[in-house]
Amino acid sequence: MKKPRVGIFGFTGCAGDQLMILNLEDELLDLVGALDIKSFTMASSLVEDDEYDVAFVEGSITTPKQKEKLEQIRNKSKLLVAIGDCAAWGGVQASCNGIVSVSKKMVEVYGSRNVWEIYESKPLSAYVKVDFVLPGCPIEKEEFLRAATSLLHGDIPEAVDYPVCVECKLRENGCVLLEGRLCLGPITPGGCKARCPSLGVDCIGCRGVIDGESRIKSAIEVFKEAGFEKDYVKKRLRMFAANYPEILEVK
Amino acid sequence: MRVEIDPLARVEGEGGIEVEMEGNQVRDVKFNIFEGPRFFESFIKGMWYDKVPDVMRRICAICTCSHSMASIKAMEDALGVRVSKQTELLRDLLIHGEMIESHALHVYALALPDFLGFPSVIHMAKKYPKEVKGALQLKKAGNLVHNILTGREVHGMNERIGGFSTIPSENELEEIRKAMEMTREFAILAVKLFSSFELPDAARSENTFIALNPGKRFGYYGKEHVASDGGRWDVHDYRKHIKEKTVKHSRAKHSSYKGKPFMVGALARLALFGNKLEGEAKRLYQKHKEKLDLQNSISNNLAQAIELVHSVDRCIQDVDELLSRGIDKRDFAEVKPRAGSGTASVEAPRGVLIHSYRLDGKGRVVWADVITPTAMNAANVDKDFRVAAPRLVNTKELERTLEMIARAYDPCISCSTHLVVVRRI
Repeated sequence: MKKPRVGIFGFTGCAGDQLMILNLEDELLDLVGALDIKSFTMASSLVEDDEYDVAFVEGSITTPKQKEKLEQIRNKSKLLVAIGDCAAWGGVQASCNGIVSVSKKMVEVYGSRNVWEIYESKPLSAYVKVDFVLPGCPIEKEEFLRAATSLLHGDIPEAVDYPVCVECKLRENGCVLLEGRLCLGPITPGGCKARCPSLGVDCIGCRGVIDGESRIKSAIEVFKEAGFEKDYVKKRLRMFAANYPEILEVK
Repeated sequence: MRVEIDPLARVEGEGGIEVEMEGNQVRDVKFNIFEGPRFFESFIKGMWYDKVPDVMRRICAICTCSHSMASIKAMEDALGVRVSKQTELLRDLLIHGEMIESHALHVYALALPDFLGFPSVIHMAKKYPKEVKGALQLKKAGNLVHNILTGREVHGMNERIGGFSTIPSENELEEIRKAMEMTREFAILAVKLFSSFELPDAARSENTFIALNPGKRFGYYGKEHVASDGGRWDVHDYRKHIKEKTVKHSRAKHSSYKGKPFMVGALARLALFGNKLEGEAKRLYQKHKEKLDLQNSISNNLAQAIELVHSVDRCIQDVDELLSRGIDKRDFAEVKPRAGSGTASVEAPRGVLIHSYRLDGKGRVVWADVITPTAMNAANVDKDFRVAAPRLVNTKELERTLEMIARAYDPCISCSTHLVVVRRI
């Protein structure tokens, strides 16, 4: 069998999802042995411009050059997979989208509004068709391995459609929300085995929001009843999924 | 004529090198950083204190804990939080674990292929199985510290303002010690490898170093910056000494000290505080001191290798001290929001990192400033390029050597893209 051709690319972000792939210390050598890795600039200076059976793309799109490169990758790839929150939702750098303009941010950080042409941080799906999303900040290693195995056979895996709360209950954790901390578990897709609540930390929603079924409005009601300030709720919701239309609208 | 190296591979992020030549004369050399900026210091404004470290650690994946610790310590400075001795020991263990994870990745996977003539560590696996396996095991040992203390390898959540949400068990600490003991030989092997290479010396030129004074023992926390010309200042006064400016070719602002570029990182730490090393790291440092050419920035790789040995041994010491004290499972300092400002500096794997915040009465950020080591080093990389390029202008080595110089700094480009507010309120 011919080895599947794979490209791994990074745009605006912290490279943490590519790092999670490199963090597969026990599986890495077998994994790269089973694949024909055509491009992975974070790890290798050998770059082959080629067609890909699967392209894994990390990062959000914020420059014209990135948009152009993403379109090229899309044209050369059978399947394009968004890995991580930046590629899936726009990342933490999108948390002020619709509130603070790019030119204002540029003035605040670099001292001038016209240093470069920069777009508001958007997910890959704002520009190209995305076949599958591996959410998380960062992605889960095991989830990546499982999804990669399906994808390399040409199958699209099933996305998680239940909230973090389901996994939290399975681990028999006490409810962080009932303990008086704002937990985004009810609106965040599972798949992380409720890592944060299991350590006594509230979920910050790094896997985005469960798509297609609106839970945002009822979650906001619950948070309000629990006594959290409106501004705190808004800031928390915007951390990882500010581009989600219902969250973008929260006043 | 123009020589462009784009993208610069085996660095964490999007960068490139541009050399402009007129005939045989080098007109300009630039280290370009063109990854999309993220504007952390702008969008963090308005964020409530409790989640600021969770956002700011996402500046970088490889040194996520350096960012979270700088952010947490700056917040504790602003909120007047005092943590326990146990928390301090766990934090010391954490930053030494991060140093192992990051240096193992850089020294073995990103830099070593240059010296052995391979495009990547993966391509090296056939001919150098021991080195590649050792690199992965060492990185895994560092990641184990992240996993146990923060909840995962990248962007954990367990280390908080005030302490650790869940205190690790004795068994988990024993597990860390075992992993360190098992991989120690690969830290020593890194020193052996990097002390045996002849380094390209085209960039040899004067370096000024800045590092954080670690106190009595070599380490990565402190309250005072020290410069190799004798300058020293409390970290709260960093803005008086470290100046920044925006340059068009780089999203990392360029830093200067007394109007000149400077270097931070492992080489700077050893140059200034190598005499505080202990045990095997001290022995190796003294043995290879001659080889550690302070005027050749590429020596940074050997300095990182020596720090690997120090960090592995220190993790074992920290575990032993924690265990002999006995673990207090209910140890968390009280944290209450208040208006104020706070600054903290830590030694990230790549060098001095500074976080500074001003908070309103509810503990929301009204102003933030972050200076990362890659931003501090950016002007020094340009300096090295300006020295090296004319010396190499008619050789085949030009591109490869410039790449090696840039890579020796271990540039973490994702870190460097958002840095530093110009407008000072």
